[in-house]
Amino acid sequence: MTRIRKLDRRKFFSTTAAVSVLGLTIPMWASQAFAAKRGGTLRISVNTSPSKLNPLLQRLSSEYLLGELLYSGLVRLGPNMEAVPDLAESWTSSADLTVWTFKLRAGAKFHNGQAVTANDVVTCLRAILDKKTGSPGRRNLGPIDSINEGAGGTVVIKTKVSYGDLPIAMAYTTAKIAPADIVSNDLERLSREAIGTGPFKLVSYEPDRLIVVEKNSDYFLPEYPYLDRVEVMVFPDQAAEMAALISGEVDVALQVPPAEYKRVSASSGIDGMRTKSGRFIDIVMANDRPPFNDRRVREALSLTLDRQAMIDFVAEGYGTQGNDVPVNEAYRHFRKVADKKPDIAKAKKLLAEAGYPNGIDLTLVASVKPGYRKTLAVTVREMAKAAGFNIKVETMPHGTYLKQVWKKGDFYVGFYNMQPTEDALFKLLFTSDAAWNETRWNNKDFDKLVESARTTTDVAERSKLYKDAQKLMSDDIPALVPVFFDLLGAKRNYVENFHLHPRGATFSLEKVSLGSGAPKR
Amino acid sequence: MSLQYIGKRLFYLVVTAFVVSMIVFGITQILPANAAVMMLGEYATPDALAAVEERLGLNRPVAVQYLDWVWGILQGDMGNSLRTDLPVGPVVFEALGRSLILAGFALLSVIVIAIPLGVFAALNRGKKGDLFASFFSYVGISMPEFVLATLLLVVLSRPEIGLFPASGYVPLSEDFFKGLWHIALPVITLAIILTAHVMRMVRSEMIDTLQSEFVIAAKMRGLSKYTVLVHHALRNSLLPTITVLALDVGYLIGGIIVVEEIFAFPGVGRLLIVAVQERDLTMLQAGALVMSVTYSLVNLFADMAYAYLDRRIQYD
Amino acid sequence: MIDILKRLVKQPQGLIGAILFSILAIAIIFGPMIAPYDPETFHFGSRLNSPSLDFWMGTDQFGRDIFSRLLWGARSTITLSLLATLMATVIGCTIGVISGYIGGRFDEIVMRFIDAAMAIPNLLFSLMVVTVLGSNATNAMIAIGIAFTPGMARVARSVTLSVRTLDFVAAADARGESGLWITAREITPNILASVIVEGTIRVAFAIMLLATLSFLGLGAQPPAPEWGLMVSEAREFMFKSGWTIFWPGIAIATVALTFNLLGDALRDVLNPKTH
Repeated sequence: MTRIRKLDRRKFFSTTAAVSVLGLTIPMWASQAFAAKRGGTLRISVNTSPSKLNPLLQRLSSEYLLGELLYSGLVRLGPNMEAVPDLAESWTSSADLTVWTFKLRAGAKFHNGQAVTANDVVTCLRAILDKKTGSPGRRNLGPIDSINEGAGGTVVIKTKVSYGDLPIAMAYTTAKIAPADIVSNDLERLSREAIGTGPFKLVSYEPDRLIVVEKNSDYFLPEYPYLDRVEVMVFPDQAAEMAALISGEVDVALQVPPAEYKRVSASSGIDGMRTKSGRFIDIVMANDRPPFNDRRVREALSLTLDRQAMIDFVAEGYGTQGNDVPVNEAYRHFRKVADKKPDIAKAKKLLAEAGYPNGIDLTLVASVKPGYRKTLAVTVREMAKAAGFNIKVETMPHGTYLKQVWKKGDFYVGFYNMQPTEDALFKLLFTSDAAWNETRWNNKDFDKLVESARTTTDVAERSKLYKDAQKLMSDDIPALVPVFFDLLGAKRNYVENFHLHPRGATFSLEKVSLGSGAPKR
Repeated sequence: MSLQYIGKRLFYLVVTAFVVSMIVFGITQILPANAAVMMLGEYATPDALAAVEERLGLNRPVAVQYLDWVWGILQGDMGNSLRTDLPVGPVVFEALGRSLILAGFALLSVIVIAIPLGVFAALNRGKKGDLFASFFSYVGISMPEFVLATLLLVVLSRPEIGLFPASGYVPLSEDFFKGLWHIALPVITLAIILTAHVMRMVRSEMIDTLQSEFVIAAKMRGLSKYTVLVHHALRNSLLPTITVLALDVGYLIGGIIVVEEIFAFPGVGRLLIVAVQERDLTMLQAGALVMSVTYSLVNLFADMAYAYLDRRIQYD
Repeated sequence: MIDILKRLVKQPQGLIGAILFSILAIAIIFGPMIAPYDPETFHFGSRLNSPSLDFWMGTDQFGRDIFSRLLWGARSTITLSLLATLMATVIGCTIGVISGYIGGRFDEIVMRFIDAAMAIPNLLFSLMVVTVLGSNATNAMIAIGIAFTPGMARVARSVTLSVRTLDFVAAADARGESGLWITAREITPNILASVIVEGTIRVAFAIMLLATLSFLGLGAQPPAPEWGLMVSEAREFMFKSGWTIFWPGIAIATVALTFNLLGDALRDVLNPKTH
């Protein structure tokens, strides 16, 4: 039954190893033993425009924030990356983990008064899986075979193979539920209006400037939210954003640039927030075209990187070394290895062997948001020069990058949040059927390991499979992963119960309240 | 100031607006070898490219595309943003309104400060006051807006001083004083640079006027320095000043783009930057057109004011 | 020529302008040789340093020497600005002179076009062109050149109009000289003065515009030591070390100032009417 999985996780995380990694966040999450004051307006700042209001189409952190404020999914992600009830009050599965039955909670209503039914859930999930909708989450929900209504108003999801992680997959950021008739017939409407079941309702939406939401008094968890209003302020300029936070115009900044963190957290009235996470930056290489289809070229580039220095340059010290595998201690099945060190001589030799004895010219594309992409690109350029890589850096606005280069380009800088599980991570970026298969590594052995791990119920066995997969990545290097980032945020000290979840995509603002000292707005 | 004159000028304005629209359209939609590729990038699939071409009608003859766009505008439809799919017109005009407020305040500050400063410099020509003012004006016209804006941000917005907020927009209708406080830094940035330009012009014109014949004649007639100053010199200098102010709207509109971006002010300049960055063709075309036509309109008013005053005070 | 230079230097603006210009020329010609470090080399242990004996102007976020970067950047910043202005001047003058000389309907139409083009603010014009051509330093230069052309055309035309009515032009016409000859031999030399003055001041604007485009990410790409780009990159670190913004900002302003001063002084020297 599902309980096995959940208990295993809890057991794991209660051991010292995990606690020391996720630090103080767990006790804070766990205890809610204080009386939260009701009311007030919270101002939170983001630095990318959340141009997609339709939750099925969202791709950015600022958009996920809105999605969570206005909508709910079947489940949510808890503090330990476990599935926690949202619209689904409970779930059970068949013994072979292929048939999952979700029982919906009674009395949940959409913002327009309509009651939530199984049909709404089924329609939405099917829409996400439908190519025509164009949802970025299409392949992130797991190996789903069918979604149907079950007896007694339940939702039954059948998976193609045994898939113990299905509940967690249902917590994916775009798996939100909206009314069936709108999703089927008038999906466009959701670009301008929000008709969800979230703790807040949409008041106004100006994606380049300000989005205002107010308390939903019919929210299915009656004790939440505590706040009356949330104002999401968009600051394309980070200097301006930090200035606004420091001067008190903004209460919470979701992302603080590493270079500013020290100064900002030292400012009066501000608490800096730092959480270890699996968030990483990588250099994506197209493995199906020259020159990166030759493993030696990839390894040569990897050998030029001084990763310790990069932690300083790119993350200002607020990060950890990556060794070309996007899994770190924040994940459950992390395979610890000796840190990779640069070796220019070997890099040169490999490059020559691959047919580039006189070096090679490349263009590396970096979006300007966040700034670390550019910094990484310039750093890689400088470090790889010594081995004969002549890299030209090309920056572009984030919107252009998303449209033109992401998932398509040959050589660019990627930046990703942590995923709840290794399976989710690998299936998102690195298997042949990955939702965002940008490297086109298409390694059969890797695919096999991930598939087997997915259907294995024995934890030790699963761990071994994931560790083998990581070794494969580390040796074959489909992408360079030099640095993991700690999540850095900041809030004013009167903001209570706001935490940075390591996943980086869930915010739980309905649990946030304003304590004494909060300005009246 | 005959009706005929006004009519003629308005006619020219319309012609100019059309030519502007042709230039804007030409640069953004015709010039790129393939507008679809410009928007979607070199890695776009042929299907995706075809879809965009279909949607924007890029395969039709150039003239047809242009006329279609213009016809739409004349009917009040400037197209839908390629990014948000919402109509572009209302967004642009709302942003324009805010930019005009910003520009208005900047111009007001300039008039209040630059003209007296220019007069002062002219009167004290060659002396310390003039030198100081001239130095300031040279520096002011040599400093790009983004450098000045950044310097002001660092100096005035840092927490220790915290004089003005770094950004944020509060509509004046909502809270007048708070709104003013937020708009202060962008206004100051624009005002400083504009003042430098205008002050030089005023000073230079004043000097010319002070040495012109009829002023000397007036002085010889025994009129007090004050009378000479205000009644003759100043009013004559006002003419070129109005021209300069109109020209400055040009600087203003250019400077406003950068200032709005840095201070995150939601005006039409910022809208254009976002449109450029997002390759939002429709928004870019609409914004550029509106901005340029506004500039032409302001010039028109300035010209008419010039013509009006010219007849009234020239040979007073 | 020497005479002009002598008169130039007698003016306070001219003197300062000339001095600054010489310094700039040295920086452009000898810059890379004077620069103590390579502009792209990281110095791992010395990030965001204040000015010191090792690094005269301090270092930036990568530990690169700011002074060296300024010297190397001078070349691209100033050269590109000069080229853009030159392009605008040559094309603009051609259009302006021809239009002014031919006059009549043709002139009217051309002027309508020029007026409309000038209704579009320079920054906006270059933004549109760069968007279409792609963001790099060369395209930024081309964009600025195109944006400035109408302004130069206007100036050239207006001076042509006043020169056209002068006696020696009528004399040449009476002699039966062709229009082309008149344009080249009689008119052009006489408008040169105004064009040079306008052009010099335009360079100042070109420099500021180029820096602005780079600042917006639409010009030079990292790690180029272009001054506008340096300011843009430094903003993230401005509270950690203000020098990263200060030096390139001052450099831009100084160069623009130089050309403004020179332009004003030249105007006074070459145009006996004004003083």
